[in-house]
Amino acid sequence: MDFIAKYMPNVVANWEGEYGFVGAIQQTLYMTFISAIVSGILGLAVGLLVVVTDKDGIAPNRVIYSITDKLINLFRSIPFIILLAVIGPLTKLIVGTTIGENGALVPLIIGCFPFYARQVQNALVQVDPGVIEAAKAMGETNLGIVFHVYLKEGLPDLIRASVLTIISLIGLTAMAGAVGAGGLGSLAINVGYQRFENDVTILATIFVLILVFVVQAVGDLITRKVSH
Amino acid sequence: MGEPIIKLDDIVVDFKTKDQDLLAVNHVDLTVEKGDIYGIVGYSGAGKSTLVRVINLLQRPTSGAVQVNGQNILSLNDAELRQARKKIGMIFQHFNLLNSLTIEQNVAFPLRTSKLSKSEKKKKVDELLELVGLADKKDNYPRQLSGGQKQRVGIARALANDPDILISDEATSALDPKTTESILNLLRDINEKLGLTIVLITHQMEAVKQVCNRVAVMDSGEVVERGEILDIFAKPQHPLTKAFIDTTTRLDATLKVIYQQENVKNLPASDKLIKLSYVGDSTDEPLISTLYEKFNVSANILYGNIEILRGTPLGNLIVILTGAASDTEAALAFINGQDVQVTELDPKAQSEVID
Ligand SMILES: Nc1ncnc2c1ncn2[C@@H]1O[C@H](COP(=O)(O)OP(=O)(O)OP(=O)(O)O)[C@@H](O)[C@H]1O
Ligand SMILES: [Mg+2]
Repeated sequence: MDFIAKYMPNVVANWEGEYGFVGAIQQTLYMTFISAIVSGILGLAVGLLVVVTDKDGIAPNRVIYSITDKLINLFRSIPFIILLAVIGPLTKLIVGTTIGENGALVPLIIGCFPFYARQVQNALVQVDPGVIEAAKAMGETNLGIVFHVYLKEGLPDLIRASVLTIISLIGLTAMAGAVGAGGLGSLAINVGYQRFENDVTILATIFVLILVFVVQAVGDLITRKVSH
Repeated sequence: MGEPIIKLDDIVVDFKTKDQDLLAVNHVDLTVEKGDIYGIVGYSGAGKSTLVRVINLLQRPTSGAVQVNGQNILSLNDAELRQARKKIGMIFQHFNLLNSLTIEQNVAFPLRTSKLSKSEKKKKVDELLELVGLADKKDNYPRQLSGGQKQRVGIARALANDPDILISDEATSALDPKTTESILNLLRDINEKLGLTIVLITHQMEAVKQVCNRVAVMDSGEVVERGEILDIFAKPQHPLTKAFIDTTTRLDATLKVIYQQENVKNLPASDKLIKLSYVGDSTDEPLISTLYEKFNVSANILYGNIEILRGTPLGNLIVILTGAASDTEAALAFINGQDVQVTELDPKAQSEVID
């Protein structure tokens, strides 16, 4: 404790409270968790839609495919920091505010799920078309093929894609923090950087890194469990 | 004639793209009878896979009619088609097993939607694994199996819904000769035990010889020759059929060597170099000694080969007939009257003169 007090005086001063470390960690976890879940569901659905309606997919549909594909590209091309501003009105409509961790959720999700959808697509096109064909020959329904072939056979790759997405999501929460969303990013910028309290910046960075490592380790563990 | 179980009528499959028009299957008729092991051979790109994928409508034909088990497959709705597909098993060159599932789960996969109870399904899967000789591997994953074992799993899986038809698309092409033979024997067992009709695509004539009772030869989307296996092997008509048969008999290579022999190079005009082909019973007749006794013509055997096609011997002999010119002519006429096919060979032209 003495050590921390000596070398990181500002950390101690900024430890508790809504704008301290404890609050920031909670906010970052909250933003990451909620937007990961929502983006996960949306991204998986959209990614599957693209794979299934692709010309080599199980239910080819040129119109749906090209619209979805272009929308994914469009959203992925908008820099996140601009997205934060440009969808302000939409955010206000959905969660009632554009600041704080709730205000960050909408841009985080919109910034994240198209990225995840593309990752899902890349993971699922790796599934052996021969296995899909075998399932068709066995009289499997399209829904059956999605749940019992694509999602099962693609699981290890899906988990890898999810880990990658969550890690980049943590990066996005930090960026959102810079413009008033709270969390570790906010702490690092608004306290550490603006007030020249370097120890705060460094510790905030360390916490972000720990979070990334934990996500990576858990992901690797699960991947190893599910690949045969 | 047996009862037809698959009837393909004037099938055309046309892969149209912007810059080309590829006729993968070009007006093909094909009838497979119940209990057949029907071979389909042809070089890569001949349209074999495309043609058989029409049977379970993995490939919809551009035009033509498809009858399977008395059902007009093309008129079925989606649900009926899925039901029909359950009665048409299929195995593949690359096995196409689900890597995320155990062997037992792979075999059980087609039973997921079946009406059988849980214990009935388990019993069915156990029986199938027993049938293909993999009962001890049921908790393994496909990656832990050899190619031959994987194909056995593929076969067990294809049989799960008690199909009437089994389609095998190059199922042995990725396997070594010994494993190929054991898989082919398994297929023949299934054909005999379960009365299953099998359509077997291959480019290995050896496989056709071993198990098929009928064969169709495909080239550029067309069936160029078809028939009972013995007829095809004994009297191939199309050059492609001959080329395929030659891959198992190696007769062409043998002839090349024979043509280089001194006694053949300097063959007197009165002597004749001939190829004799016979099927089944004709082998029992003492042809060679008859030639000598009746015509005073001696036969010098340069080469002999007997193939066993599903239990029936099919022989090829290359002999030189020696004697007076009139005697050898008479002997030739006599052999032609027997159940033996005679082909006169001309060493100078280095090719067959009479077919
Ligand atoms: N989906 C497709 N789209 C366009 N062309 C195709 C398609 N499937 C097959 N073809 C073409 O149709 C022709 C016949 O192909 P097919 O796969 O039936 O041949 P095959 O006899 O089975 O050959 P192999 O022994 O190599 O399997 C080939 O020229 C192939 O390129
Ligand atoms: Mg093929």
